[in-house]
Amino acid sequence: MAMQPHSKKRVCYYYDSDIGNYYYGQGHPMKPHRIRMTHNLLLNYGLYRKMEIYRPHKATADEMTKFHSDDYIRFLRSIRPDNMSEYNKQMQRFNVGEDCPVFDGLYEFCQLSAGGSVAAAVKLNKQASEICINWGGGLHHAKKSEASGFCYVNDIVLGILELLKYHQRVLYIDIDVHHGDGVEEAFYTTDRVMTVSFHKYGEYFPGTGDLRDIGAGKGKYYAVNIPLRDGMDDESYESIFVPIISKVMETFQPSAVVLQCGADSLTGDRLGCFNLTVRGHGRCVELVKRFGLPFLLVGGGGYTIRNVSRCWTYETSVALGVEIANELPYNDYFEYFGPDFKLHISPSNMSNQNTPEYLEKIKNRLFENLRMLPHAPGVQVQAIPEDAVNDESEDEDKVDKDERLPQSEKDKRITGEGELSDSEDEGEGGRRDNRSYRTPQPRKRPRLDKDAPALKDELKAEDSKDDVKNMSVEEPKKDTVPNP
Amino acid sequence: MAANMYRVGDCVYFETSPKSPYQIRRIEELNKTASGNVEAKVMCFYRRRDLPNPLIQLADKHQMAQSEDSPVAMKLKKICLKTPVGEEQAAQAVLDPALAAMEEESSDLPGTDGLAPKQRHQAKHRELFLSRHVETLPATHIRGKCTVTLLNETESLLSYLNKDDAFFYCLVFDPSQKTLLADKGEIRVGSRYQTEVTNLLKEGEEDPRIGSELETLVWTPEHGLTDRQIDQFLVVSRSVGTFARALDCSSSVKQPSLHMSAAAASRDITLFHAMDTLHKSGYSIESALSSLVPASGPVLCRDEMEEWSASEANLFEEALDKYGKDFADIRQDFLPWKTLKNLVEYYYMWKTTDRYVQQKRVKAVEAESKLKQVYIPNYNKPNAALISSASGGIKPGAVLNGGTNGTAALPPAQLCLSCQVTTSNQWYAWGPEHLQYRLCGSCWQYWKKYGGLKVKTANAFGESEAESTKVRPDGDETALSASHRPHRCTVLNCAKEFKLRAHLARHVATAHGSGEGARPVMKTRAAFYLRASPFTRLARRLARALRRPRHYARSPFSPINLQQVKHECSIAMAGVGVGAADMRASGGIARARGAVGTVANRLAAARGQPSPLARAHEWLLLTPRDRMPKPAHVAFPKPPKAPDGSLMYERVASRAELEARRTEPAPVQPLKRRAFDDINGLDSHVNHSVGTGAGAIREAVAAPPPAKRPNKHPAPMQRPSREQYAAMCARAQATGQPLPAHVFAHVNGKPTNITGRGGRRHVISWMDAPDDLYFRATDTAKVARRTLSCGELRRGARAPWRAMRSGAGAAAAAAAAGAVLATAGAGAGAGAPTGAGKTAGAGAPLQLVILD
Repeated sequence: MAMQPHSKKRVCYYYDSDIGNYYYGQGHPMKPHRIRMTHNLLLNYGLYRKMEIYRPHKATADEMTKFHSDDYIRFLRSIRPDNMSEYNKQMQRFNVGEDCPVFDGLYEFCQLSAGGSVAAAVKLNKQASEICINWGGGLHHAKKSEASGFCYVNDIVLGILELLKYHQRVLYIDIDVHHGDGVEEAFYTTDRVMTVSFHKYGEYFPGTGDLRDIGAGKGKYYAVNIPLRDGMDDESYESIFVPIISKVMETFQPSAVVLQCGADSLTGDRLGCFNLTVRGHGRCVELVKRFGLPFLLVGGGGYTIRNVSRCWTYETSVALGVEIANELPYNDYFEYFGPDFKLHISPSNMSNQNTPEYLEKIKNRLFENLRMLPHAPGVQVQAIPEDAVNDESEDEDKVDKDERLPQSEKDKRITGEGELSDSEDEGEGGRRDNRSYRTPQPRKRPRLDKDAPALKDELKAEDSKDDVKNMSVEEPKKDTVPNP
Repeated sequence: MAANMYRVGDCVYFETSPKSPYQIRRIEELNKTASGNVEAKVMCFYRRRDLPNPLIQLADKHQMAQSEDSPVAMKLKKICLKTPVGEEQAAQAVLDPALAAMEEESSDLPGTDGLAPKQRHQAKHRELFLSRHVETLPATHIRGKCTVTLLNETESLLSYLNKDDAFFYCLVFDPSQKTLLADKGEIRVGSRYQTEVTNLLKEGEEDPRIGSELETLVWTPEHGLTDRQIDQFLVVSRSVGTFARALDCSSSVKQPSLHMSAAAASRDITLFHAMDTLHKSGYSIESALSSLVPASGPVLCRDEMEEWSASEANLFEEALDKYGKDFADIRQDFLPWKTLKNLVEYYYMWKTTDRYVQQKRVKAVEAESKLKQVYIPNYNKPNAALISSASGGIKPGAVLNGGTNGTAALPPAQLCLSCQVTTSNQWYAWGPEHLQYRLCGSCWQYWKKYGGLKVKTANAFGESEAESTKVRPDGDETALSASHRPHRCTVLNCAKEFKLRAHLARHVATAHGSGEGARPVMKTRAAFYLRASPFTRLARRLARALRRPRHYARSPFSPINLQQVKHECSIAMAGVGVGAADMRASGGIARARGAVGTVANRLAAARGQPSPLARAHEWLLLTPRDRMPKPAHVAFPKPPKAPDGSLMYERVASRAELEARRTEPAPVQPLKRRAFDDINGLDSHVNHSVGTGAGAIREAVAAPPPAKRPNKHPAPMQRPSREQYAAMCARAQATGQPLPAHVFAHVNGKPTNITGRGGRRHVISWMDAPDDLYFRATDTAKVARRTLSCGELRRGARAPWRAMRSGAGAAAAAAAAGAVLATAGAGAGAGAPTGAGKTAGAGAPLQLVILD
């Protein structure tokens, strides 16, 4: 866990002044205006002047069809509110109409949102920046040829595809209250992108994101889902976010991170049901930033727009490593923030249905899955030369020296993670040995055993039995997983 | 306290019948009814016992499939999840014999999931089935809170059993279709869903993308300026903006005070423009400053908020009232000269104004009937099933002192059916009456909460029997009655009931006009009119059945016996000639009486006067037109005729011409007068909408009568060429006069403020402009007007604010009230430029309708 101190970074920010004027329609909760509100807050907080501000290009159809199907993009390009009736059949096929209405400038809106994320990814690839922000992006529900959940074009997938040109492994983290199904589905069968989504699960859109959805084929174990219940507060969120992300970083060892900062996980959201404050939400940004990897921040959900702009403003300040006052500066939309006109919000007194035990169990189950990953450090040793393009690699090496800790140091820290629980688990090691003994695993590396102490004793007997089964089933598969 | 506070989103027990278990519901809404009661709109959870039998089997299969990940189970899971099972047969089809066998086996085993049989039994009581079924129940029937969570496979059922009032669910039950589904989406796998993963670039390969094509740099932090310098520059750009507003004529009308100008100049658009300027001038304050103040005058940035006129704002609010936030419709019907983007931007800014706050307050009052939480005290009344001394077979003493008075003597039926205890503070009758089962207090509570007995009774008349004979129908009945509960309108003081939700929705939309996303009444209600054909009209006269036209007019829905009508008509029409019938049907054609002259002649002839036409009485003949007497004075003489016979009206100057005329230096006019014209003359251009136009001013400027909607086709702004423009600037500098406003519009070419319109309108901010007024003349006012002399009327029209002398007592004839009010206000009466009379009011107090 290459934790870095809270540091100043070069931050690029993508914004188009038109974005706030797209309007999904009467009564629709998605309001692009929130992005403009954020922008105005950034200006008046003086954060604007501390970043590189870019106006993104409009992504072309060619760029979008890197992920989306041609006919879907063609459809998006041609549909307008005044010719909708001619497209009845296609609208049904592409799920456009109800949640994802046809509105004026729909295609342009998609172009701007996707253009921002793609440009940001290219920027990171060129190492011209350490952190890129595109609050207009983050539309994580969009599928390959289907709109879903207010999302039409999946800018995140497009951005990640761009990052994959220079990065062997990209980590995607989703802290929207909804499951990031579009991104997960797009990369469900690849081991080069790990998708980690924290979301409300159960009787909730989009219905996916079960703990058992872990990826398929080569991508098995590369989809991580953390199903949560109503009322997540800052404390419990961090209690699950930190260990999971640390573990993921440790085992997957990505070289770039994309964080979807959907703000509907904030308290009092019109659609959400979590109880996070701006601080708790921003804490996730801070934690991910500390890993010091090329970092793309995108927006996402968020339907109580005053809180969305609060949140994203704060997260921009976190990315910049700048403290900002709790008192909101005057701006065109100041009145939206009444009656207190403060940056930070307080949680409600709703009850948290996620008990510590529940979170603990989820965590343990996920840890077990993560242990199934081919061992990361080995991967990385091989990956570095392949990862880079001549002069870029030099740059990256430099960055590595500056930003990352040497491998040995990392290893030490990883051991440290185990230490947290070692005193009790010392004896448990035997149990672990037992298990590995029962299912001989030639490919198992010593590191796996080092992870062992992390396994909590809450693991039930039956779970470990499952485990055994899984492993034995997985055995042939593991061989096919190429160690790049 | 907190325990009895129920919020929206809480899961609660509802008691709908004293004998059956509580129903478990989740509160979706709490509404106060007109009578002050609180009703809860709730979503239903169903218990196992509420489900039809085949579905329960399905549910069992599902659970088993969850706990074991064997391939068979997986297969089963898929079937279960994907087959909506309606009928028993369908359920049977799913029940593969092999699976059934497996099920038997697993259920016989004492808890493959580590549960004892008793726990297994109890766990079934904790399982619920979510439904999308929503019903409305009185909040007073709430009997406590519980929690319902989606079961996660990492959890053991024990964790639920160990907690009171904790339930779980896995499946969703659809009560109308009797299906059971897993509430689970799926991630699809296949080339149609996954993306092709980009390969890493090979060594030496470069990404062909060029950064400059993907993005435009707007600001970089890499500059030599300090924060302080940037702040200073922002202040300067704001002050330039203030000054620009001072120079700009239209702005000075909108913002009469310096403070307002300064506030307007401090809006974010100015700041963004300042930052852009700084960036474009390479972060050199000096060159940025000079581009803020080009030779053409200081730069002026205005956003939609400032851009809109008072009347546009009023139109917008009116439109919002009518259409809601359907901006496309608003644009089409109210503000076609704005773009959709203008509207959206303006809308979000408008929300910051106090006008919006007022509206919100009104809405808040409306929403008061929706509660967030409700306090329901503990329910203490004894349950009907409580066995009291009279009805129970046991003496009260025996119950209360349990054991002291020969409890052992109790017959087996008097034991607690569930836990077999013999002593309890309270006993409750349970099951069919003839069996005389009873439960102890704690088992009764368990039964009410979890819908079962703690222990699976081996008794032949055990739980299942009792349930099926008595309780099941009972439960069904309540479920049924609940589902047939009428939908009640939630609007205050209405509470009408409807059978179907759709009807309720329609009612809300039409009667209250506030349904979700519902269009207001005007749009949804279809107008119809009855067109009476000649035969209908004929029938009306002929048919006896229709002899009560007034009655039918009042009750247009009462049926008419058409057969009878037809019959009568055919009889009547057989008697009358068709021609005559036609005649009468059309209500009689105007009688051809002939011209007066011929009639007169005929009359004369009839009198036996044989004299020829010419010599008939002169007074009977019409005077030829040219010999008619001429009036002494023609108020509106007809214009001369053109050779082709058409009338030649005086040409009215076009808007562009007028503007051109105004921009020309008018050396004849004194300086002061010009400025006045400049402002007010401009106003007259927009007074069709702005509402400040005074007739007098219009006269002075000789503006054309307002076109109906000139803004719809914005005339191309007459823009001076570069040379003309330079000359104008020079002239303006020489004379010390400000440039006409449209010149600024030309100058001000900043990128952020493109309004999409042809040119800048000269508008008055709606915040500063007086409210629109229009005068509605009542009959008494009109009568009173007639009593005024012509001169008085004119005077009144020119000076509408001046009180009228009550016109020589003449007004008193019409007005008992006496005082003639003429307080139309300074800016009144834009609507009807009828010159006279509109300010003369009398009698009843003036009806000033403020268009707010």
